[in-house]
Amino acid sequence: MTQRISKYQRFKMMNPIIQFFKFIYLSIKIMIVVAGGHGGTRKVN
Amino acid sequence: MSKIVILGAGISGHVAASHLRRKLSKDHEVVVVSPNSNYQWIPSNIWVGIGRMKSKKILFPLAPLYKKKGIGYKQAKAVTFHPEGDKTEQKPYVLAEYVAGEKKGTQEKVTYDYLINATGPKLNFEATEGLIPGENKTYSVCTYTHADHAWHGLNEVIQQMKNGKKAKILIGTGHAKSTCQGAAFEYILNVEQELRRHKVRDMAEITWISNEFLLGDFGMDGMLMSYGSMTMKSNEMIEMIFEDRDIKWITGAGVNKIEDGIAHYENLDGEYKTETYDFAMLIPAFSGHGFKAYDKNDNDITDKLFKGFMIVDADYTPKPYEQWSVQDWPETYQNPSYKNIFAPGIAFAPPHTISKPRKSKNGTDIFPAPPRTGMPSGITAKLVADNIIDSIKSGKESLHHKGSMGNMGAACIASAGYGMTQGSGVSITTYPIVPDYNKYPKTQGRKLGKTFGDIGLAGHWLKLALHYAFIYKAKMKPFWWLIPE
Repeated sequence: MTQRISKYQRFKMMNPIIQFFKFIYLSIKIMIVVAGGHGGTRKVN
Repeated sequence: MSKIVILGAGISGHVAASHLRRKLSKDHEVVVVSPNSNYQWIPSNIWVGIGRMKSKKILFPLAPLYKKKGIGYKQAKAVTFHPEGDKTEQKPYVLAEYVAGEKKGTQEKVTYDYLINATGPKLNFEATEGLIPGENKTYSVCTYTHADHAWHGLNEVIQQMKNGKKAKILIGTGHAKSTCQGAAFEYILNVEQELRRHKVRDMAEITWISNEFLLGDFGMDGMLMSYGSMTMKSNEMIEMIFEDRDIKWITGAGVNKIEDGIAHYENLDGEYKTETYDFAMLIPAFSGHGFKAYDKNDNDITDKLFKGFMIVDADYTPKPYEQWSVQDWPETYQNPSYKNIFAPGIAFAPPHTISKPRKSKNGTDIFPAPPRTGMPSGITAKLVADNIIDSIKSGKESLHHKGSMGNMGAACIASAGYGMTQGSGVSITTYPIVPDYNKYPKTQGRKLGKTFGDIGLAGHWLKLALHYAFIYKAKMKPFWWLIPE
């Protein structure tokens, strides 16, 4: 189902204050996913 | 003393060279062989392609940096591989041909103890008739020179629109098996925003054309992701963005021929159609470089090293889609025939695609090749470098560092428009990159929470922050190694 972005959603997406905190949150979350380690898949420990 | 030769100075080759040089004493030699004189931060090319960033901001010359850091550098291209040496040279070597300077045109046997093939992909424009950057109104953003050229083409169309001419813009993939949909996705959203900034948006019809089965596939079969408090499929998220930006889309399309302002394509229903345009940016197919390899008696052993791209520790046994697993994907990127050769980044031959293979009713393969973006390229290059370092230090083969794309996360911070207050970005993380349907059977092979999406201004700031952080890291400035791949 396709939906358009509501005015309220757009306000949240573009508000610099909200987005500043989102920037911090995303930076940490992305760091956890990306720098959170990697490894093989062939051996089950 | 060991000599490590790295072919290529893109993200993968440069990461490997940097870590090797930092962790190995000067008794060991690190040599980079690349035909390119500059390092370029490719993810920012899309901003060059909309005229919002100068290409000089995304590149720097390699020679002075390598000289300062004690990394050997030959501006040359690899020609042939000789992993056993030959009748006159005992050591394995790569035959390289200089492409610039006094030695231009001359060939040299570059011997090695360890070889890292980080030559990336060949941009195979020839695979699509008429797809030539700068001709037939088609452009590319795959290199900074292409992106510069694309901006000139786009700017011409913008000026025409300002003079009252309506225009059609087509962006997406230029071949039935192209990959790197993410770059085209970023570019179409940036172009759309720039048209609004230039107040000509209502003069343009913007269309996305792609070999993906669904929007938001990104060559990874799409993903189920967390979005705020919801769980949604990537195609629903991207459709929402395209609807919001009034961008039309054509999916399941294999572009097979380009004429002046006309893209010919076949769709999965087997229909042959055309799409006209005034400006197009189409990503070409990627291919291997067509290298040849020879043994010490000069016999052709290309099939021991290459399968299009370089053969590594993947399971290449042909099997149906239903039997594919994450265990097929390589972990150490080591060539099984020659254990001192590695191919991280985009240079390794994938065991198969990630997206489900689909054929048109005429039997044409129309599905994306597997993407391997900057983040996994950097991670795999570092683990290859670490294994080589351990092997040199311990005096025996060490392969403790592993990184399968089936056990690795990636972030795609896609710019959706440039500007400190008006910009936007789509931040997506995926874990793992190759879906593991056994481990995560109910969430389309991915771990929810670690696979999430977000849209907003913060995404643009993130992309900009990554631009500056990774160029800082690439320049090997103080504490560069603290920035993860």
